[in-house]
Order: sequence, then structure tokens, then C-alpha cells
Amino acid sequence: MAQGTQGRIVQVIGTVVDAEFPAQDLPAIFNALEMEVAGERLVLEVEQQIGNNWVRCVALGPTEGVTRGMPVTDTGRAIAVPVGEPSLGRIFNVVGEPLDDLGAVDAKEHWPIHRDPPSFDEQSLTVEILETGVKAIDLICPFTKGGKVGAFGGAGVGKTVIIQELIRNIANVHQGYSVFAGVGERSREGNDLWNEMKESGVLANTALVFGQMNEPPGVRLRIALTGLTMAEYFRDTMGQDVLLFIDNIYRYILAGMEVSALLGRMPSAVGYQPTLSTEMGDLEERITSTTKGSITSFQAIYVPADDYTDPGVATTFGHLDAVIALERSIAEQGLYPAVDPLTSSSRALDPSIVGRDHYEAARGVQQVLQRYRDLQDIIAILGIEELSEEDKVTVARARKIQRFLSQPFFVAEQFTGREGRYVPVAETVRGFAEILAGQHDDVTEQDFYMAGTIDEVTARARERQGAAA
Amino acid sequence: MANVRQLRRRIRSVQNTAKVTRAMQMIAASKLRRAHERVEAARPYAQKLRQVIADLAQQSPASDDGMHPLLVQRPVQNALLVHITPDRGLAGGLPGNANRAAAAHVLGSPTPIGIIAVGRKGRDFFVRAGREVIADYSGISDRPTLADTVAISSQVERMYRNEEADEVFLAYTEFVNTLVQRPVVTRLLPLETEQIAQEEQPTTFDYLYEPNAEAVLGALLPRFLEMQVYHAVLEAQASEQSARMVAMRNATDAAEEMIDSLSLEMNKVRQEGITNELLDLVGGVAALEG
Repeated sequence: MAQGTQGRIVQVIGTVVDAEFPAQDLPAIFNALEMEVAGERLVLEVEQQIGNNWVRCVALGPTEGVTRGMPVTDTGRAIAVPVGEPSLGRIFNVVGEPLDDLGAVDAKEHWPIHRDPPSFDEQSLTVEILETGVKAIDLICPFTKGGKVGAFGGAGVGKTVIIQELIRNIANVHQGYSVFAGVGERSREGNDLWNEMKESGVLANTALVFGQMNEPPGVRLRIALTGLTMAEYFRDTMGQDVLLFIDNIYRYILAGMEVSALLGRMPSAVGYQPTLSTEMGDLEERITSTTKGSITSFQAIYVPADDYTDPGVATTFGHLDAVIALERSIAEQGLYPAVDPLTSSSRALDPSIVGRDHYEAARGVQQVLQRYRDLQDIIAILGIEELSEEDKVTVARARKIQRFLSQPFFVAEQFTGREGRYVPVAETVRGFAEILAGQHDDVTEQDFYMAGTIDEVTARARERQGAAA
Repeated sequence: MANVRQLRRRIRSVQNTAKVTRAMQMIAASKLRRAHERVEAARPYAQKLRQVIADLAQQSPASDDGMHPLLVQRPVQNALLVHITPDRGLAGGLPGNANRAAAAHVLGSPTPIGIIAVGRKGRDFFVRAGREVIADYSGISDRPTLADTVAISSQVERMYRNEEADEVFLAYTEFVNTLVQRPVVTRLLPLETEQIAQEEQPTTFDYLYEPNAEAVLGALLPRFLEMQVYHAVLEAQASEQSARMVAMRNATDAAEEMIDSLSLEMNKVRQEGITNELLDLVGGVAALEG
């Protein structure tokens, strides 16, 4: 049991716990309190001082068995987690305890999870493209090193698969350190990821933190900060370029929502916490690149009911450099990754950054697809026969482009039964430019489905012709 | 998810489209009736003409010398295709099918084939394909008269007589019934009186022709050619109207279906909005009281 001021529990409201302390030794906000419940260590985090020498805390663990009058100890500081190289290759929970049964972590330093974001003059904006090997992403929403990328999507459209493919394609070739934060997602995924990383050998350069959906809201609310703090150490102290993967940032908002009302705050629009954008800002503003090092972050964001105007989702949008929007209607057609090329965007899609060819191919693809979408009502009502010849060509190319945007993933081999493909950016741009130029008007749509490069498409077409002949 | 206003705007636009397609369906239906009447009205004359020609052909077996120019069979060096299509679209698959049938014929032809386009859809099709369109008779009214088509048949006749074309085909859409229109390509010239004779019931009467059978046949054959072209135009006209009627009915049905699904979506969105606002209100009140 840690040394410090002793208090006692006065009220338990689910995951929110009130404690009374001596007036002169009231714990500061964000201080960690510790107590023992049935032999287990339970950490509470102070969120409010509510008068009468009471502090209101969020429990970072189950509160079953906590009763009034139980003693609680103020540790005098915020939750601190082990940082630095000893954290690599390990799995942690929210308070920095290892979960992998590999013994204690011998870290020289522990950093508190609440920190200030870097100031303006420390921030750097590099514009260097980061290749992902995923056609739809490289073409429409290219990533920058040190940038923030969000993968938006409703339930079951493939956010986690995209994040894992990115881990496979980027982290595996990336020389520096990576941090993965699992926030409120399936516990099984953490296990899969750990085993996969062990196999590919990137585990030695990766720290994982998990607060999955089986854990209380307090854990899910703070786990992202735990992961982020580890990434920040690599960036600030070691000057590294760090990759930070967060799956799923929306669960952070959701956890905040769960505790907000219990903390006594009035719900705001659609039941969200009134402090929604503050909470979001606290987290997102810290995920940034500084003059010392960079954090390139990939965040999956769940979109409730596929509604992009949902306040929780809309608040996240503003923080990102690149947005991958995953669309259910595309996933329903069996086109994976279900990236919607018309709503996905990136700040880096600029002729001066990606080059004119790339820019024009991307905009051309968007134009053709937008035209197709505009024509869809006419096709639905009057039939495809009534389109002008030019529009028929546009529709045919749009359908090919839609199919060519799909791609087999390495991490989804067990679902698709196809071997994954890594497509370099130059190949991606060439492929789409050729389709736009009409060079593949005679190739059937089906040949574009789940292909890698355009050469694979033409090879399939030749094979088909050979078989027919 | 789209908001209520956007959905309402889309519903209105689809409703307007449905209004237009419904109106076009009704117009096409009434035009179809008249076109059909015209086809029927032209039938007795055509029937009689064929019978008489069949009769004449039997009486004056083809002789080598002095054969009527429209009956002369020459080795084919240049062919000609009279391609009858609608001027306007919104007729479902009909223009496309007619063009495909004609294109298949043109591509399958062993000799160079010139095109006389009757109707904009066919003209545009062959112009786009880079084929030579010798003459364009687009813009025949919805009520074609013999005067409209005589220009076509006389050009065909002139070209055949001048040996600019050695074989003439006629591509049009045959009106089978309201739901079925069949694109056909038939040979127009040289005329084959034997074939007509075979197809027709020989008349039981033994007519006497003045001054003689050949002269009458010579005078009748150009009429027959005119009749063939006129008949094809009428058939095509009836086909076009019926195809348009069916296409517009389908379009109206599709539009109505779309309106239904959009209305359902709009109502869902609206109700969801109301529910959410209620939840906010109730939640706020409960929080104030609690």
C-alpha cells in the first residue's frame, strides 16, 4: 500500500466513487488514489473536488465490493506508467501494469499520463508522404509522416482490419518504435495482434496497451492517454519517429459519456458529455509532431448508426490530417477496403506534395465516381439505355474504378481467401490514370475486383481470353 | 445519413420526373394506337399490291432481255442499307437493339455498304462509328405519310438504277405486339417476284392486263418499293411508340418505387430526430431534478 494521506470512501455510484479527506490534505485533481478491495489493488482517479472535503473519483477497475468507510490512500501524483525501452515488447493495462505474465517491468522512468500538449513553437509540420501499399488510401487520402489519420466507419465495415493492415504494412517496414492502444474493442483482437507481432518480429519495437470492452469506463477513458504517454516519451526524450495506433478512439468518447452523468454533469446534445470537445482536445492535441520527433497516428473511429454528423464523430474530424471514410454501401457490395473515395480526404493531396500526376489521377477518379453517383437516379428510373454514349463510358469506367479500389489484405486472408497485395504508390497512380485514359475499356469489370496492380488486371484479362479461345 | 430537407428535395425531383414519364407514357399510348391504325390501314393496299404482283409475275416469266431494272440481279459491288430508327430517345432498348442489328449486318457484309439513315438515333450511331452516311432523312413526323417516304424510296430506286448500289437492305423494327418489337434486316432490292409469288395465294381469277402484263408490272414495281419503305416506316413508328410506352411505364413504376423508399427513409430520419430531441429534453429534465 502506497504511503500518503488517508481518506475514506463516502459514496459509490457505479464506477464513480466519492472519498472524504482531511481538509488540508485534499488530493489534487487527476491524483491517483489507491485502495485495496478483496486483496486486489484498485486505483481511483480524482476528477472533481465537490465540497465538504469530498473528492469525486473515477475507478480504474471494478468497484464491486467497495463500501462506505473503506480506507483510501492519496498517492500524491497522477497515474504514472513505465516509459522507455523497457516498455517495448510488453502489454500494459491502464495503470502501467504488465498483462503478459513476463514479470515486472524494469523501467527507469514513469511518466504521469496527464501532460500538457506541445506548444505552438514546438510543433513541426513535415510534408513527407508515407506509403501504405493500400491503393484506395494511397490514391485518395495519402498519409504524411507525423500526420494524424482517422479511419471512420460504422459497425462492421472494416476499421480494425484497415488499422491492422496498416500495422502490417507500415510498422513492419518502419525502423522506429510503435505503440498500439486498444480502446474498448474486442479483447480477442489484442491477443491476435500480440501473436501476429511476435511472429513478424515487430513486437520487440512495440508497446501495447489495452483497455478493452470488458473493462469499466474509467479504464477505457484513460487507456488512450496511457498509450499516448509512452509514445510521447519516445518522441520527446529519445527523438524518435513513433507510430501510434489507436483502436478505437470513439470508445474513449463513449467512456467519457458513461462517467459524465455519474460525475453530475448535465448531458448535452445526443446525450454526449458537455465537455466533449475539451476531452477530445486533451487527447488529440497531444498526438502531434514536434521539432524533436514525430508521432504518426492512425485512429479508428466508430461512427454510430453511420451518421457522420454525430457530435462525437464530428468533434474528432477537425483534429485529423487525413480521413479515411468507410462506407457501408461499399462494404455491402463486397468491395473491401470499403473506402469511400468521395468523402475521404487528405491535406496532403496537393499537387505540390504528391505531384501533378497523382493529384490528377485522384481528382479524375473522384470526378468519374461523382458523375456515376449523379447518374444513378437516372439509371434507376430510366435504365442505362437512356444515357448518352459519353455517360455510358463514364459509368463503365466508374464501375471498374470502384472494383479496382478494392484490394486483398494480408491480414484478411482468412476472410477473402486471397493473398494480400502491397501496391506501391507509383503503380497505384499509373493504374488509375490508365483506367481514366480509357486504356482498359475492353477489360471486363470482374477482372478489376480484388486485384493488386493494373498489370495483374491485364494478366487476368489475357488469361480469360486465352481460356475462351 | 441524409437530412430531411435533402430527402424532401430528392423526393420532389423524382416526383417531377415521374410526372414527365407518366405524361410521356400516355402520349406514347395514344400515338401507338394511331400508328397501329395506320399500319392496319396500309395493309389491304399492300396485300392487294403483292397479290397483283404475284399474279403478274406468273403471267410474265422473267426473260433475260428487257427485264425491269428493279428486278435485275447484278454481282454485288456496293450495297446500301436503309436504316430506320426513332428520332428521339426514352424508348428503352429499342434504338440500341435496332442499331445493334444494323451494325451486325454492316459488319457481316462482304461488300462496302452505304447507309441511308432514317431517324436521328441511327444516324448518330453510324456517324459515331465512323461509317459513311449517304443520306439522312431524320425528322419524319409521328404521322408519316407516303409523301414523306417517297423521297427515300425514289433515292433508293435511282441509286439502284444508276448501279450505284447493287443490293439494298432495309433495317427497321417490326411491331410484333406491345411488348415485343423485333429488329429485322430484309432485302429490298433487287425485287424477287418469284418469292412474292410463293408467299402469296395465287388469285383464282385470270385477269387480262392492258396493254400487257410486263408494262403493268413495270409500273407497279416502283409503287411496290414505295410501299415497302412506307410500311417499314409505319412498323418502326408503331414499334417506337409501344417501346416508349413500355419504357415510360417502367420508368414511372421505378420512380414511384424510389419515392416510396425515399419517403420511408425521410420519415425514419424525421422520427429519429424527434426521438433524439425528446431524449435530450427528458434527459435534461431528469438531470435537473436528480
